[in-house]
Amino acid sequence: MAIEIRRAAVIGAGTMGSGIAAHLANAGIPVLLLDIVPDGAADRNALAGGALARMRTQQPAPFMSAEAMGLVTPGNVDDDLGALHEVDWIIEAVFEDPAVKAPLYAKLDAARRPGSIITSNTSTIPLQALIAGQSAAFAADFAITHFFNPPRYMKLLELVSGPQTRPEVTAALHQVCDERLGKGVVVCKDTPGFIANRIGTFFMYCAMHEALKHGLSVEEADAVCGKPMGLPKTGVFGLTDLVGLDLMPHIMKSFHATLPAGDAFLALPITLAPMERLIAAGNTGRKSKGGGFTRLVPDASGKRVKEVVDLQTGEYRAEREPRLASLSAARGKGALKTLVSFDDRGGRFAASLLAQSLSYAAALVPTIADRVSAVDAAMRLGYGWNFGPFELIDQLGTAAFAALLTTHGLAVPPLVAMGKPFYRTDGGVLEELLPSGEYSAVPRGEGVLLLADVKRRAKPVMKNASASVWDIGDGVLCLEFTSKMNTIDPEIMAMIRQVIAAVGDGSGPHKALVVYNDGDNFSVGANLGLALFLMNIASWDALEQSVADGQATYAALLHAPFPVVSAPAGMALGGGTEILLHSDAVQASAECYLGLVEAGVGIVPGWGGCKEMVLRHVAPVQGDAAKAMAAVGQVFQTIATAKTSTSAADARSLGFLRASDGITMNRERLLADAKARALTLVPGYTPPASRSVTLPGPRGKGMMMAGVKAMAEAGKVTPHDIVVADHLASIVSGGDTDGSAPLDETALFALERLHFMQLAHTSGTLARVEHMLATGKPLRN
Amino acid sequence: MPTYKAPLDDMKFILNDVIDYSRLTTLPGYAEFDADTAMSVLEGAAQFCEEVLQPINQSGDAEGCHIADGQVTTPVGFKAAYHHYVEAGWPALAADEAFGGQGFPQTLRFAVEEMICASNLSFGMFPGLSHGAYHALLMHGADDLKAIWLPKLVTGEWAGTMCLTEAHCGTDLGLLTTKAEPQADGSYAITGNKIFISAGDHDLTDNIVHLVLARLPDAPPGIKGISLFIVPKFLLDADGTPGAENGVRCVSIEHKMGIKASPTCVLAFENSIGWLVGEVHKGMRGMFTMMNAARLAVGMQGLGLSEVAYQNAVSYAKDRLQGRSLTGPKNPAGPADPLIVHPDVRRSLMTIRAFNEGARALSLWVGTHIDLHEKSDDPQVRKDADDFVALMTPIVKAYFTDMGFECTNMALQIYGGHGYIREYGMEQFVRDARIAQIYEGANGIQALDLVGRKLPQDGGRLLRYFFHPLSERLARTSQDPQLKEFAEPFAKIFARLQQATQFIAIKSLANPDEAGAASSDYLRMFGLVALGDMWLRMAEVAYARMPTANGDRAFYDAKLKTARFFFTKMLPECHGLFARIMAGSAPVMALEADGF
Repeated sequence: MAIEIRRAAVIGAGTMGSGIAAHLANAGIPVLLLDIVPDGAADRNALAGGALARMRTQQPAPFMSAEAMGLVTPGNVDDDLGALHEVDWIIEAVFEDPAVKAPLYAKLDAARRPGSIITSNTSTIPLQALIAGQSAAFAADFAITHFFNPPRYMKLLELVSGPQTRPEVTAALHQVCDERLGKGVVVCKDTPGFIANRIGTFFMYCAMHEALKHGLSVEEADAVCGKPMGLPKTGVFGLTDLVGLDLMPHIMKSFHATLPAGDAFLALPITLAPMERLIAAGNTGRKSKGGGFTRLVPDASGKRVKEVVDLQTGEYRAEREPRLASLSAARGKGALKTLVSFDDRGGRFAASLLAQSLSYAAALVPTIADRVSAVDAAMRLGYGWNFGPFELIDQLGTAAFAALLTTHGLAVPPLVAMGKPFYRTDGGVLEELLPSGEYSAVPRGEGVLLLADVKRRAKPVMKNASASVWDIGDGVLCLEFTSKMNTIDPEIMAMIRQVIAAVGDGSGPHKALVVYNDGDNFSVGANLGLALFLMNIASWDALEQSVADGQATYAALLHAPFPVVSAPAGMALGGGTEILLHSDAVQASAECYLGLVEAGVGIVPGWGGCKEMVLRHVAPVQGDAAKAMAAVGQVFQTIATAKTSTSAADARSLGFLRASDGITMNRERLLADAKARALTLVPGYTPPASRSVTLPGPRGKGMMMAGVKAMAEAGKVTPHDIVVADHLASIVSGGDTDGSAPLDETALFALERLHFMQLAHTSGTLARVEHMLATGKPLRN
Repeated sequence: MPTYKAPLDDMKFILNDVIDYSRLTTLPGYAEFDADTAMSVLEGAAQFCEEVLQPINQSGDAEGCHIADGQVTTPVGFKAAYHHYVEAGWPALAADEAFGGQGFPQTLRFAVEEMICASNLSFGMFPGLSHGAYHALLMHGADDLKAIWLPKLVTGEWAGTMCLTEAHCGTDLGLLTTKAEPQADGSYAITGNKIFISAGDHDLTDNIVHLVLARLPDAPPGIKGISLFIVPKFLLDADGTPGAENGVRCVSIEHKMGIKASPTCVLAFENSIGWLVGEVHKGMRGMFTMMNAARLAVGMQGLGLSEVAYQNAVSYAKDRLQGRSLTGPKNPAGPADPLIVHPDVRRSLMTIRAFNEGARALSLWVGTHIDLHEKSDDPQVRKDADDFVALMTPIVKAYFTDMGFECTNMALQIYGGHGYIREYGMEQFVRDARIAQIYEGANGIQALDLVGRKLPQDGGRLLRYFFHPLSERLARTSQDPQLKEFAEPFAKIFARLQQATQFIAIKSLANPDEAGAASSDYLRMFGLVALGDMWLRMAEVAYARMPTANGDRAFYDAKLKTARFFFTKMLPECHGLFARIMAGSAPVMALEADGF
């Protein structure tokens, strides 16, 4: 029988434990968070309680909603073990010391309900060592669930089961971590450091040593590892600063203590001179005042500027832009190949680093995981690499990589020696090379639908420069944005109109539409560059036309004779939120950041954002003047302050999502969930009727502007904020309506257009748009 | 033999009534240069150009330059004329007072440039290049270098050059190979060959200050590895006078189509001592300072030649009796009517005239923005002015020089067979005008600069200070009973320019060839609209002055008639250009390279 997780407990309220508890709560699972009773503490729950209090204000926020905060109950391991009897899953996240864990496990085993699951969040201790001396029942219910920091945001979860672990336990953990916690679950073998940390730490150490050896600066090494190799912008040295320099020797020692003889890791020197110097000086990274490899110091004008350690001298100096011929050359297609064959410091560094680290990874399959795809997934999800080690080898070519190893005097691992690519597409299916030399489809979880897989199998139904339409089966089409950062431009508008025409009344092969893309961000909004350009050349008619076109297109989407479900993940801002507001339903990734942020660039939502917010929130209460005014004020405030949700749950409380809109925890399951949602809407679908709303008019505007004036007097708003607020207040209060006749959608659209254009003519707005495009930050003029 | 009379009345009208010259006198340091002072400067320049430079233009062309033993000599009369030029203080006119300059507004330098180019383009090359070198050194040089080299560049005692081109690279300077080896004393040893160096060697001055692009031994490849150096022909003795030779040798001079009195040199540098100007590997910055200034100056060459050609064509068309008017004799007493009665001759003359007057106004308008950029104490004004100059630079360079060639050619045509005969001087203007379309960035490159760099820069920011004021002016003048005759059709063409601008900006995102295919047509359209802006302003002033005009009534009347010609006969070219732009790149790119 499947094990159901209804309640959980986390033991240990440190950074990881409390973060895991918060994330369980995000998934709607009530959690007990226990830690020890500090000596002589008045509050016996001080540790867990303190962690909870910290997490309420912590950034990035561990909790997705206030509701989730309420699901974590603090306690202590002396008084509250009895409550464990009610719990289905106990997660241990205490100090990494078997001497601490073993007696705790015995206590937990005694207190827990038989058959409940126990897991450890250990990152270093093998499973067999953890269950040593525990009961057989304990061993059968035990596994390792290794989260990454911070648990809400890091996608990777390494799952390690032992031979004693009951299959139902493993299955239940896999399911709950994947579907409810939204993690990318990678099944690992019980080996030191599992997958990500073993390869990741090796890579970092190797990179730092090689940088020193080849005379690269911190900036140069990080730049070479960045774009061409696909590591995150943080860089190798930046990541070390983040982890904490003082931790690194401990991690190294742990690996040295546990790895088998002959492991290439053991050949790496434990110490690194520049790091030793920094640690000795107390500069242990971001957490320390002195910084680490990099630090921020105020310059003469008090502005904080970045300084970087010179690896040779140990002195800090101003950050320099890395300039290497290899970096300039390694761009676009074949960048990695160009890089490793480029004869300069950067090229030699890259070749040596990749030869060592990628061959290390290749030598570890099947020791640490059965499949290369598991290793690649672990590095992508856990370390934020754009490509896993085997994907990187494929970019170089297996044969070329083998040759590179030979020139560096390194052994060619059997996997590489086969001379075959690690991935191939066969019959539209992505396949991977197994250690046996056979190819097998890269496994996908049940219920996972990836647009990338759809794209491998078929050609788009329709396509233009900024959008494509894909057939995702069962009569459902998927509209994908492909523009830069998925900005919404005239091409996307044209594609929306085209797909509406293609689906028609739903009597043909297609019955529903999902708006979705695989991008990190659903859409950052309208293409502001285009708008600025039109403003700069005084093409006011064209600008107004682009507003009118967007309105007509979104209205057509809303009133289309077939269901439309939008499925945002990441940011959906401005025009990106407006398309959600014009969908029949939204299936949102739990991590989605919605907002009508137009005010930040000095304009108002012009593609029906104001219209929909007013219709959604004011129309239902319009019979009650006081409530209606309050609702208008709420909409005004949300838009005027450009509020952005911090999660899907938060978007619901801001009124961008309805109670009926769905939330998907695992990004990989979002498309499948959206498609399922669309199919449920198909039978007997009728498009929403045209709506109207009664609004308060100038009197209501006056009340809102009185509030703005008060804020202005308190110095909380800027002069142009007031100008923008004035126009927004005009729209959401219904313009010059006297409150007797309702305004329909056309009238609300007209108000949006009017005020959008009036704002576009102001120099304050022009300056805001320009500043945003130049710096990515709002101008407070 | 051609004659030349500087268009002082028109310059005065533009400065005082069209571009609000007096605004400049409110800028810091410009208070003493009021309109009267400005006009007396221009009168002096006019006299010098008419009496000294113009008379040696044709003889200089016929004689050309000479080279013997690596030393270039200029044609007869050039050395004396240059001496006169220096004595009168012209090189220092708009130069920085800190280095001995007179500090006049740059706007006036534009007017003087036009006169020099009209009277003797070859002569103008020498001070023109010196000014480029002066400017780059002023903006990018270290203080000690400036103290040594600037004062004599300002007085004109020494001349300057720009050494960019090498045999294998002109447009693509990233390929250049001239070497700069660092020396123990902080100087550099420069070795390499440069070609097409205007005024690279001559006998006008005691020393020549070359600004040379070269590459350090550890320089990254391409354009980001180029540094700028100052390399004199003669090293200076302890007392600051030119002494030992510095390994700079003029190998040969080119035999060319025009500007024959300006030596175009092949220069060999061999371990020549040089000093770094600006930062290592950032030589292109200094070079762009020179080039941008030089591009505007080259635009003035197109205008100057068009003006002198126009003046001579007019006198020929009035004097030469040939054929009868289509509507009956206009000179019944004579054997034939003068050429000027013929509509097609008038079409040519009016075209040249409308271009000259519009371009003159535009050039001085751009000039005032250089002054605003350099002198205003309001940072926003400085930035806006700089944007405007950056936008207009490729247009002034390419449109003015294309028109310079077309106009001199039209003027030659009016002479019939005599235009083809050297003695009449018209064919020299055509030959001289041709180079201006090529050097300082060929006009195709200017068009690419406009569509590829200036248009998309910061979301079209540079366009704002052209489109916004004109959009407002058109909205206002379309309501004016007198001006709407011009403004209404102009507004339609302006909307076409907006549309074309938008079209190029959007289409070129997906396919950069779209911008390339549209570039030359677009630049010309932009040039016409920019001239339209000037003509609309001039027409507005002419209407306003007319009721109170006395002796200058004919002047304003002619302005309005020329404006009418421009708006009805020249500006409509934009419709055709628009159609060509909107046809996209496909027709240009369709034929495979092998099919040619």
